[in-house]
Amino acid sequence: MPVRLTRRSVLGSAALGGLGLTVAACGAASTTSELPSGAPTTDPEAERVVRFSNWPAYIDQAEGDEPTTLDDFRASSGIEVVYTEDINDGSEFLAKVQSPLEQGRDIDRDIVVLSEETAQQFIERGFVAPLDYALIPNAVNLLPRLAAASFDPDRRYTLPWQSGFTGMGWNTALLQERMGVDRLDSLDQFFDPRLAGRVSVLSETMDTMGLMLAWAGFDPSSFTDEEFDSTLLLLQQQVDSGQIRQVTGNDYIGGLDSGDLIAVFGWSGDVLALGEGYGFGLPESGGLVWADSMLIPVVSPNQASAASLMNFYYDPSVAARLAAWIQYVCPVQGAQEAMLDVDPELVEDPWIFPPDEVLDACYVTQALSSERTGLLDRAFDRVVST
Amino acid sequence: MRWLRRNLVGIVAIAVLVYLFIPIAVIMVLSFNKPAGKYNLKFDEFSLEAWANLCGVPGVCSSFVTSIQIGIVSTIVATLLGTMIAFALVRYRFRGRSTTNLLIFLPMATPEVVMGASLLALFLNLRFPLGQITVIIAHIMFIISFVVVTVKARLQGMDPRLEEAARDLYANPRAVFRYVTFPLVLPGILGAALLGFSLSFDDFIISFFNAGTLVTFPIYIWGAAQRGIPVQVNALATIVFLVALVIVLTAQYVNHRKRRALDNPTPIAADAALPRS
Amino acid sequence: MVAVVPTSGVSGAPAPVAQRSSRTGYLLLFPGIAWLAVFFAIPFVTLFLTSLQQPVPGKSGRYMFGLQFSNYSDALAEYWPLFLRSFLYAGIATLLALAIAYPLAYFIAFRAGRWRSLMLVLVIAPSFASFLLRTYAWKTILSDEGFITSTLNALHLLPEGRILNTGIAVVAGLTYNFLPFMILPLYAALEKIDPRLIEAAGDLYASPITAFRKVTWPLSLPGVVAGTLLTFIPAMGDYINAALLGSTGNRMIGNAIQINFIQFRDYPTASALSFVLMAGILVLVFTYIRRAGTEDLV
Repeated sequence: MPVRLTRRSVLGSAALGGLGLTVAACGAASTTSELPSGAPTTDPEAERVVRFSNWPAYIDQAEGDEPTTLDDFRASSGIEVVYTEDINDGSEFLAKVQSPLEQGRDIDRDIVVLSEETAQQFIERGFVAPLDYALIPNAVNLLPRLAAASFDPDRRYTLPWQSGFTGMGWNTALLQERMGVDRLDSLDQFFDPRLAGRVSVLSETMDTMGLMLAWAGFDPSSFTDEEFDSTLLLLQQQVDSGQIRQVTGNDYIGGLDSGDLIAVFGWSGDVLALGEGYGFGLPESGGLVWADSMLIPVVSPNQASAASLMNFYYDPSVAARLAAWIQYVCPVQGAQEAMLDVDPELVEDPWIFPPDEVLDACYVTQALSSERTGLLDRAFDRVVST
Repeated sequence: MRWLRRNLVGIVAIAVLVYLFIPIAVIMVLSFNKPAGKYNLKFDEFSLEAWANLCGVPGVCSSFVTSIQIGIVSTIVATLLGTMIAFALVRYRFRGRSTTNLLIFLPMATPEVVMGASLLALFLNLRFPLGQITVIIAHIMFIISFVVVTVKARLQGMDPRLEEAARDLYANPRAVFRYVTFPLVLPGILGAALLGFSLSFDDFIISFFNAGTLVTFPIYIWGAAQRGIPVQVNALATIVFLVALVIVLTAQYVNHRKRRALDNPTPIAADAALPRS
Repeated sequence: MVAVVPTSGVSGAPAPVAQRSSRTGYLLLFPGIAWLAVFFAIPFVTLFLTSLQQPVPGKSGRYMFGLQFSNYSDALAEYWPLFLRSFLYAGIATLLALAIAYPLAYFIAFRAGRWRSLMLVLVIAPSFASFLLRTYAWKTILSDEGFITSTLNALHLLPEGRILNTGIAVVAGLTYNFLPFMILPLYAALEKIDPRLIEAAGDLYASPITAFRKVTWPLSLPGVVAGTLLTFIPAMGDYINAALLGSTGNRMIGNAIQINFIQFRDYPTASALSFVLMAGILVLVFTYIRRAGTEDLV
């Protein structure tokens, strides 16, 4: 089935045509792609494209003339990749695409990377295409500990993009100045009055509440509503006392860097990428470990190309290059060996290739029904927003 | 002391102008930054890298082009529709004038979040796919009122004797319009178009609600800001700022010279920016 | 609607061409008005209908037609403090903007001479740089470790020890962002004043302050009314400043609408909040216009 026009260019020209206007420049130019201008709109190979939506700063970027992993994929497969960093919040992304997906319309995306919670909601709603493992032979490299997810027991729909930890990040110099220590080991320290007004927690309910539940002595991987509510009261106290300055998405990075935030609830790779002068650690009461998933929308017309992209990133040497850049936990077996060629210093990095004892000390937060997620989100928002 | 009292208003005025430009200075300075880490958060080192490689970060340029396309289409349509309404309001009698006025006034009195939300509710109910079309529809909708008000002010401020004179010289209505009315109103229309484009190009809230997965420049900034806005964004914003400034200043200059000839009291900047006076 | 456009021409200028009544007028009006009707007025109706929807039983996140007026009471019960806060923040920002804008507008109108047009351009120029980027720039400027905050802190002038992520920062952001909307109408009103009136007041031995109070200020009132409305309305509905410059305790009603629409996908609640906000603003606007006695807003 040759696709003669990209959907977007059709839409674009329809918009213009419908308005009785002729703005020549608008019809042909693709709007989100990095295609060279003047790319023909009647490309018989139009389906040889993957439209990839990801979180910001979640992939390697060009440094000088070095090709990126995406460049290599383009070169080796001949498939064009339209890469968009437009996912900042799972619920927000779901809200954007829910109605076209329900109506079976293309959403201009062939691969999206989502958190466990959002991936679950996509799967529950029937929005996700089952993976064709014949096209993803490298999937055998998936780390055994990630082979099953609560929301996708046989990995029928999803493959991890990256795994990572939720824990505490800090600005070492300022921490030293305020507390006289150069690292944080517990939430008791995190909520020390000397840090009042200089700490932030995450806006993702289960990231913040997972750490809080563990601190309160409950099990984030299995908790009751009562336990959640009583933990929420602990959070409420910290909000009311002015200890917590902000509830942030990824933007705690800016706060750490500018010094407005001394300590944060954050994600391992983000904080580590800040480099020297900043630290990341898991609280003694327990950190969280998670895996973000790649999935293919069921409406995608480019599922085969999307599958080859997944396959590409499950090649250990590619995975190692990606991990070396973004410093999240690599989900691909063999990448640790491949890392020797990429950056020998990172081979033993506990945040990229965590040893079992680190993983054992972490919780995987409980998978919840959409309904319960909604209720908990609201309860959480009520605490942090008023 | 006396000098101070006499010039107090002037000093305060200059201080306010400086205040208006403080953030602009920050934006420009950061466009010459070479961030030390992976995030562009504070000034580390002077560099022209972003300027040399404006599209160096994936998605920046395509979102920029998207916004320009949307801006052009919305501005053209809205300017056309708005100018027609302005002519009708000033030159014609018709029934339902107060309803018309209300319909023009309300979009300007509606917070963007409400407009964005209500349009989204409409599109969701109609199951209309979100994307470039919905954003353009929304932009045209909120620009029209500003165009009407701007062009109307110009029309009302026009000296009718000029048209009368043309008629006295036996010009037919078409010729009067073409050679007298239109050239006189044109600066107002251009001012309105400029205003419309800048409103569209900079709109975040309404676009965010109605864009679906489309990424406009402000939406790109919003997302990228989570991990530090790429230097390229600052460079592009600086370019837009300077280009707009040059356009307005040139228009001002041209208008100024024409004004001497025609003794027309409205400067174009005021035309562009005085939507409701 | 109170405001009625003067039916013929502007005061001062000779009456223009007699207004024609013909099909042309309607033809000129139709496309634009139709656009506004379809994409502005009808969405309000759908917004209202959405605000009364009820959940589909057993399917979370799905809503259907209903007459659930309790959506309104529930939404208000939960979010009334945010309405109040928005009113407060927007009100303070408007007054601050008025105080800042007046001297500048006055200067441009009466003292700027040949620099007048240039200064007007400078007033609108900042709007050419992205609204979001300017707000992010304030985040940098007001940072805890930045110059302004550390200076004020050294003088012990900040009760919370910081500016960023406080109500002060949100109000400051609102004031800055909507300032041009205050300056321009003020200028337009001041520019119309005949300077000889002020001189005459001086000749009659009025002190400059009395002259301002009795002559300039009353004559500039239409600009004050337009400017305060143009500042207050967008400030009241804004959520960007609160999101970027505020803290947990500084959210405004716009944030609540945004989060309910986009994050919780609770369309009825979000619609109800939007509707209340809009109704509130309209009531305020019309009362205010009546009181101020200026009806020629449109």
